[in-house]
Amino acid sequence: MTNLAIRISPPEGVPISFRIATGGQRFGAQLLDILITFGGMFLFFLAMIWSGIFDWSLIATLFLLLVFFLRVPYYIFSELVWNGRTIGKRIVKIRVVSADGGRLTPHQITARNLMKEVEVFMPATTILSATVESGWVTFALVIWMLLVLLVPLFNKKRQRLGDMIAGTYVIDQPQSVLLPDLAANGTSQAAGFVFDTVHLEVYGRYELQVLEEILRQKPRTPEAVTRMEDVSKTIQRKIGYAEKVAQGDNWDFLSDFYRQQRQYLESRQLFGDAREDKYHEKTKEPE
Amino acid sequence: MTGLSAKNADLIRSSRFRAEREAGWKELDQLVTRTEKAGLPSLRYEEAQKLASLYRQAMNSLSVARSISMDKALLSYLEALCARAYLVVYAPQESIRGIIARLFSHGIPQAVRRSALPLSVGFLAMFLGAVVGYLLYFQDPGWFFTFVPPEMSDGRVPGASYSYLRETLYDSGDRSGETLGVFASFLFSHNTRIAIFIFALGVFATLPSFILTFYNGLLLGAFFAMFAEAGLALDLFAWLSIHGVTELSAICIACAGGAQLGLAVLLPGNLTRREALRAAGRDAVKLIILAGLMLIVAAIVEGFLRQLVQSISLRLMIGWGLGAAWLAWLLLSGRDTGQDKTQTRDTAAS
Repeated sequence: MTNLAIRISPPEGVPISFRIATGGQRFGAQLLDILITFGGMFLFFLAMIWSGIFDWSLIATLFLLLVFFLRVPYYIFSELVWNGRTIGKRIVKIRVVSADGGRLTPHQITARNLMKEVEVFMPATTILSATVESGWVTFALVIWMLLVLLVPLFNKKRQRLGDMIAGTYVIDQPQSVLLPDLAANGTSQAAGFVFDTVHLEVYGRYELQVLEEILRQKPRTPEAVTRMEDVSKTIQRKIGYAEKVAQGDNWDFLSDFYRQQRQYLESRQLFGDAREDKYHEKTKEPE
Repeated sequence: MTGLSAKNADLIRSSRFRAEREAGWKELDQLVTRTEKAGLPSLRYEEAQKLASLYRQAMNSLSVARSISMDKALLSYLEALCARAYLVVYAPQESIRGIIARLFSHGIPQAVRRSALPLSVGFLAMFLGAVVGYLLYFQDPGWFFTFVPPEMSDGRVPGASYSYLRETLYDSGDRSGETLGVFASFLFSHNTRIAIFIFALGVFATLPSFILTFYNGLLLGAFFAMFAEAGLALDLFAWLSIHGVTELSAICIACAGGAQLGLAVLLPGNLTRREALRAAGRDAVKLIILAGLMLIVAAIVEGFLRQLVQSISLRLMIGWGLGAAWLAWLLLSGRDTGQDKTQTRDTAAS
């Protein structure tokens, strides 16, 4: 499953994009939370049953009651205290955010977690507690649960019903890593390739950023070096670079090209000529 | 471009932009990381201030970088940094105690007063059901078997002897305190499930909520008619009142919550249905919390007091007194005119 992105506009007016958590992540977090809320108690009750002090029906009722009293408050309070993260969500590194860009309100948290009760837990416990004799009711409940569980998989923003009512998204906790600026350290190279406007006209932003990713890591193995050289040769051919580039200078060539191409594209963009990719000439023509 | 002594002047524009601001971003990153781990209270006053201003600067940088920089590393870093800072800065700031206190003093009573229409739907469903059940029973007692599932009637069927019916109302039985507690908890989980179903089904255009509540009313009406036929009307009324005033109201309120959602789906007005549902959700959620609270109280009363308190007048007094307490709380609390915040919160503590 790919990570979809949503944009949220904070009050500062600069939209930030978040990646929507995958179905797998959410399932994992939910499973962990169930283990946390049910697990301890389940073991406790298992011990009670095993010891055989109380009869079975009494234990079952107490269990249902305690589960209800623990479960709803657990989700609501943990999401309140940790700003949209239960323990399971913290481990999986996802969290709840408000779709309107403001802070998460207590109402939203309560609404989405009460709906969780309605969507999944109530039908599940009803089936498990076997208080329903009629097969049709059980069947209907199973269908209802399946449908509800499928809802987040089939809508674009992976919202449960509760998320829709509360107006929330579940997102990936963003991780920020600052990589060095490639254009800043490429200045003191001895080779000093210089490119004309003609050379720099060819590519756009997309190709530049692909090149950036290639330049992030210096090739170590012979195969990687050949691959890098292939890239360099392709670029030389495409932009019509006439001079010969020595075998060992390909890396410097790419670095210099990256720097000058970026400078060129950035100044073009400042003048209102944003070039998305190498087809920029063609896409411009029809207008 | 070349020859200038300053190191930064040698850089291209976007690199200079980054070099000038990088220190600020790093500092923000550290503050955010700390806050993510230990929470906002762990920051000193100056640090909190700094967090806010650095956050705004970073947002500004992000906005500028989007238009001038093609450095993907920079853009994705700033994007993620701003996102993290945003989540830290816009965290809920109420304390849990404050939230709960406000919910009880203002949130719930105000939500109830705003929801006159759905509440009338809920209570009307129950009332109509009861009337219909009562009338149908007197037309033909056979209806009783149609409404009431056999496991629920527990021998209390039309034609049962006066003494048996009377016994079911006053049977103190041999229940010890412990089993009464279990009985109460069973009642609670049973009733909550009904209430939650009634509430949840309301989304489908109110109708299922209405029908379920109506059905509950039918049961009530048929039961009442049967006892009335046996000459035990007042006894049953007292027996039902002690917990029923609270419990049946809770069911009606759950129905009202569902009806509120259903009405939003049926008559969204100028909003889209999804928006209308969201708007209605605000009060509906409070109604279901109220219903849950009332069910807890009702289960306690039903589990313990109903068997312990045997006199008709006392049963009536407790039941309707409790009802009056609920009503007083819901009608009087959270009026915006006064500054009284800590009003009748403990009506539930019976």
